[in-house]
Amino acid sequence: MQRATAPYILILPSFLLAAAIILWPLKEIVSLSLHDVNRFGMLRDFIGLEHFRVLFADPDFIAATWRTLVWTAAVVLGTLIVSVPIALILNEDFYGRGFARILIMLPWAISLTMTAIVWRWALNGESGMLNSALRGLGLINTNIQWLAEASTAFPMQILIGILVSVPFTVTIFLGGLSSVPDDLYEAAATEGAGSWDQFRLITLPLLRPFINIAFVLNTIYVFNSFPIIWATTQGGPANSTDILVTYLYKVGFRIGRLGEAAAVSLIMFAILLVFTIIYVRLAMREAKA
Amino acid sequence: MSRKLKRSILFWLLLSPIVVVILFPYAVMTISSLKSATEVLNPNWWPSELRWENFPEMWQTSGIAEALANSLYVSALSTALTILVSIPAAYALSRYQFAGRDAFRQFLLVSQMLSPIVLVIGLFRLVAGAGMIDSLNVLVVIYTAFNIAFCVWMLQSYFSTIPRDLEEAAWMEGASRWRTLIAVFLPLAVPAMVVTAIFTFINAWNEFVIALTMLRTEGTYTLPIRVFSLVAGRYTVDWHYVMAAAFVASVPVAILFAWLQRYLVRGLSIGAVK
Repeated sequence: MQRATAPYILILPSFLLAAAIILWPLKEIVSLSLHDVNRFGMLRDFIGLEHFRVLFADPDFIAATWRTLVWTAAVVLGTLIVSVPIALILNEDFYGRGFARILIMLPWAISLTMTAIVWRWALNGESGMLNSALRGLGLINTNIQWLAEASTAFPMQILIGILVSVPFTVTIFLGGLSSVPDDLYEAAATEGAGSWDQFRLITLPLLRPFINIAFVLNTIYVFNSFPIIWATTQGGPANSTDILVTYLYKVGFRIGRLGEAAAVSLIMFAILLVFTIIYVRLAMREAKA
Repeated sequence: MSRKLKRSILFWLLLSPIVVVILFPYAVMTISSLKSATEVLNPNWWPSELRWENFPEMWQTSGIAEALANSLYVSALSTALTILVSIPAAYALSRYQFAGRDAFRQFLLVSQMLSPIVLVIGLFRLVAGAGMIDSLNVLVVIYTAFNIAFCVWMLQSYFSTIPRDLEEAAWMEGASRWRTLIAVFLPLAVPAMVVTAIFTFINAWNEFVIALTMLRTEGTYTLPIRVFSLVAGRYTVDWHYVMAAAFVASVPVAILFAWLQRYLVRGLSIGAVK
């Protein structure tokens, strides 16, 4: 093996495979989005940005876009806020810590689809155990039809989204916390810093890069997350819980308007790209400072 | 009362709300899977009798055995393939300087951003055009491609923590680069490979949207699609069987995960800092 060619041979299999499965469909999507397409995927005339124009005139698309932003912001911020104290607790030494970690991590190991299907059953109006549990606690008097309208279904979906994102986030934070040396705290304690000051002045700054990573990865995952909404309401009732991914799936595979679905894909890709570029810029500025 | 005991009680109290909410759906799943067809419609917690027969009955009627085999096939094969192509790439990134190194890393970053759902229209068109709808092997290739970025990234950052001196010492002794790789380097990298393999396996095991799109006949369904098909688009859903099926689909992986969880925390923390 020549020294100069060796690295290229080593990266070639992974590059070819990833490129074929990612760049080739991307090319297909671009061409679909710019052509008139019949429902069997046959390309007809080149129509430029017509599909995009149709989309932006569709109130369902606009609503799904805003809902996606709400969904992503609510789940990601909710997850970060819940995960920091959990990680701080799980990083301390206490009886049953190993068991507590397993309990918190559990949703990670279980498929999102299964979790969402079980929630769909738990949220059932008549037979669902959430209603009976809340009634048992005296919190509600009458059964709530959780999934029958968006005003109750969507917050529940956000809650499920947070619950299934916590394990991954806590794991990243635990990794970060384990890199904080103990003597730093001891030194701070001898200087007379209270536990809030220790948290604010030592833990939080050291945790910063990990919070950033968790923020970016969660944003990408949540923005693209399909099973929670699809398995609970399929974006219903009347498209009122659709986010972009479920809207895309419906337009593409239910209605069969592949050109418009391809246009939605590209818009999603553009949003993700802008987000990533902003993030990389910020991260670089911070690294310089 | 010792300080540690006091602290333990306080921490468990603080954790209890989130633990309750996390466990709630799985408790519902377990209890519903043991209720009879009529009792499952009553939202009481304890069934009057535990119907263990639900499990063999569900096993017979739901086609879950086939789905379990399909899921195992797809997950195991795509995990093996992912690791196989990711190791050389990660090794190249951590041990060589070459033109295009940064471009390759950026390509990986972008491919991490493009989730299957964004590409599903294009993928479906390609797969349908090749007449390969319903092929589990297509699923294997797609899952592998989408896991490469994460795997290379994780392995690369772990590889960078392995000191070069060890390899250089082996070269001094006259071992070839290839032999050094096999005998010295890879054995040291086993923990990272195990962690990435588990992640890839769980990702493939749980994947939903590609399987939903590419698999059209029941015989090829993977577990998530099989269980979803017991619920979606039906007028009457046998919820006690659905919950039993979800139980069977979840518990083995959950136990595996609980057992390996400490290695995951350690592995991810190494990967995350880089």
